[in-house]
Amino acid sequence: MPQMGVSVAEGTIVAWRKRVGDWVEADEAIVEISTDKVETEVPSPASGRVSEILVEAGATVDVGTLLARIDAEAKPGVAHVDEGPPEPTADRRPPTAESGGNGHAPPISPVVRRMADEHGVDLSQVEGSGRRGRVTKKDLLAFLGDEKPAAPEPALHSESPYREEEPAPAGTGEQLSVMRRQIGQHMVRSLQTAAHCTTVVEADMSAIEAARGRLSYLPFVARATIAALREYPMLNATLEGDRLTVHEEVNLGIAVSLGEEGLIVPVVKNAHELSHEGLASRIKDLAERARAKRLTPDEVSGGTFTITNPGAFGALLATPIINQPQVAILDLEAVTKRPVVVGGDSIAIRPMTYLCMSWDHRALDGALAAQFLSAVRRHIEGWDG
Amino acid sequence: MPEMTYLSAISDGLREEMRHDESVFCMGEDIGAFGGAFKVTDGFIEEFGADRVWDTPLAENAIIGTAVGAAVEGLRPVCEMQFADFIACGFDQLVNVAAKMHYRQGLAVPITVRLPSGGGFSGGPYHSQNPEAWFLQSPGLKVVAPSTAEDAKGLIASAIRDPNPVVYLEHKHLYRRVKGEVPEGRYEVPLGRARVAREGTDLTVISYGAMVGIALEATDDLEGASVEVLDLRSLVPLDTESILKSVRKTSKVVVLHEATRSCGVGAEVCALIAQEAFEDLDGPVVRVTAPDVPIPFSPPLERAVLPQVDDVKEACRELLAY
Repeated sequence: MPQMGVSVAEGTIVAWRKRVGDWVEADEAIVEISTDKVETEVPSPASGRVSEILVEAGATVDVGTLLARIDAEAKPGVAHVDEGPPEPTADRRPPTAESGGNGHAPPISPVVRRMADEHGVDLSQVEGSGRRGRVTKKDLLAFLGDEKPAAPEPALHSESPYREEEPAPAGTGEQLSVMRRQIGQHMVRSLQTAAHCTTVVEADMSAIEAARGRLSYLPFVARATIAALREYPMLNATLEGDRLTVHEEVNLGIAVSLGEEGLIVPVVKNAHELSHEGLASRIKDLAERARAKRLTPDEVSGGTFTITNPGAFGALLATPIINQPQVAILDLEAVTKRPVVVGGDSIAIRPMTYLCMSWDHRALDGALAAQFLSAVRRHIEGWDG
Repeated sequence: MPEMTYLSAISDGLREEMRHDESVFCMGEDIGAFGGAFKVTDGFIEEFGADRVWDTPLAENAIIGTAVGAAVEGLRPVCEMQFADFIACGFDQLVNVAAKMHYRQGLAVPITVRLPSGGGFSGGPYHSQNPEAWFLQSPGLKVVAPSTAEDAKGLIASAIRDPNPVVYLEHKHLYRRVKGEVPEGRYEVPLGRARVAREGTDLTVISYGAMVGIALEATDDLEGASVEVLDLRSLVPLDTESILKSVRKTSKVVVLHEATRSCGVGAEVCALIAQEAFEDLDGPVVRVTAPDVPIPFSPPLERAVLPQVDDVKEACRELLAY
């Protein structure tokens, strides 16, 4: 049993590739083994004939245990059932001098080899009716007709270069969780649906910094966003197919991270009726229940605009994906102190952030997006409670 | 449709073209007053007059050379070689002048050279040859070899109307033996298009000229095997598409011709298949041809040299059993 890694102490024989009496070439796979880390084929250390197999498949043995013996003195070509041409079966014609019985296996014609490859046929399973038992094209066609319907040939030409991805071989990788798969589906569908465009403005958070006390920036930015949405209701909208609906009330989605599991977007219903303090307590409540998996289905639906807030992790800019069927999503990134020009020609150190908004160019144009973001900034920078 | 012999079909096609197009005229040895050695132009001098049906000296180089000059001046001459074998004397005018005129001078040479070819009648080494392969090596020439009466008429018309020099092989053995329905009036069989003489699925015999009939006879009842027979009709241009299509269907091929083996039409067809249809082959590509020897006078020896029905049967059986 070879040493497959420093910490591996034992291995299990999965299957022998060779039997006693088989010829094996050096570096040819002789046995499959499995350890707690890997499953692998073990190459033969030498050329020769397998003379003895000491550990049967299924057994687990310590590293260093003798598994098999190879007779390196043996000569290839000595009769063994697995070598040379297959024995002619009863109704195959025996080789005759007339048919050139020169000891070689009957030839495999180009068309038979190609078709066998295409259909994954093991030719040793096909009865040959040709000279010296050669498998003819007809034999192979009859075999394919009997055994199974011919596998569809891969198309030579395709309308589009898109190819279905090969499914990952079973047993490798890890199945995605239901939540990850759903997030994936929603995100891909959104990218395929909306004409995504991202606009960025920079905002000075000094006023909010002064006012927020122990609250996070989020309820303040949410409040400023709601105020801007009231001025530009085209952003508080949903677009489904060709139908754009501009909403009266603001149902504000807040993306809540669930750590490695994923992300969920509970919705603050009628957020326009709430102050920043009211928003703060509703967001806190929804986030807590989201992490405890106690949200009801209608608490995660009906949003008209979404804010995502990964800024706590220090990122500067992002291009978020719209939460369908809404027409925009605002991304609040990290607030960092930066030198900025203020009051004409002075430079001051201010807590700054980038407000990044992805919007759907099908529903609106860049000028409106910029005007809206400027309004958000105005409400943030002019925060007066 | 009237039934006619292969020979009458050639005459009919030639006559139709001469009636329709005044620039078409015939020249050759004894083709006028005598009506030709095989009577293809029998009655032509009476109908068209000696101006359009010329009896020439026994000088093939002069016949073809004169035809080239006439063609360059806008006429469409049809030259008869009394026997295909005699074209060796006109080789230079055909291969070096007619074939290269368009390449070198940009001039069309719409001449047709009729070659009564083939053996089977104890004609011996100077009156029995199938010299088609000589002309496959001469770019600028087209080469056709009909096997049926209908194709004989359609191909002589196409040959005359084609702007290139065309070598038209008419097999003497077919002249009065092959009969068939032939459409009336003028029609063309396009150059470069093979014909499936019989559909089949197990094996293809590729042939042309007199051997098409041999192929059909040999494989008519071959222990129930389904044998396709492809009649090339045109040797230049060669209908590679039809050849490969048939090979892809049957995967086994016998190439059959009366001409000698080495560097013959069959060699070209085999090379094409080996290169373009290798992965469709289910057995070696087999040739059945005359060996590389002159054609003997002796009837038993001639039979031994020319491919016979039994030779084709044996080759097909061998390949079917492979």
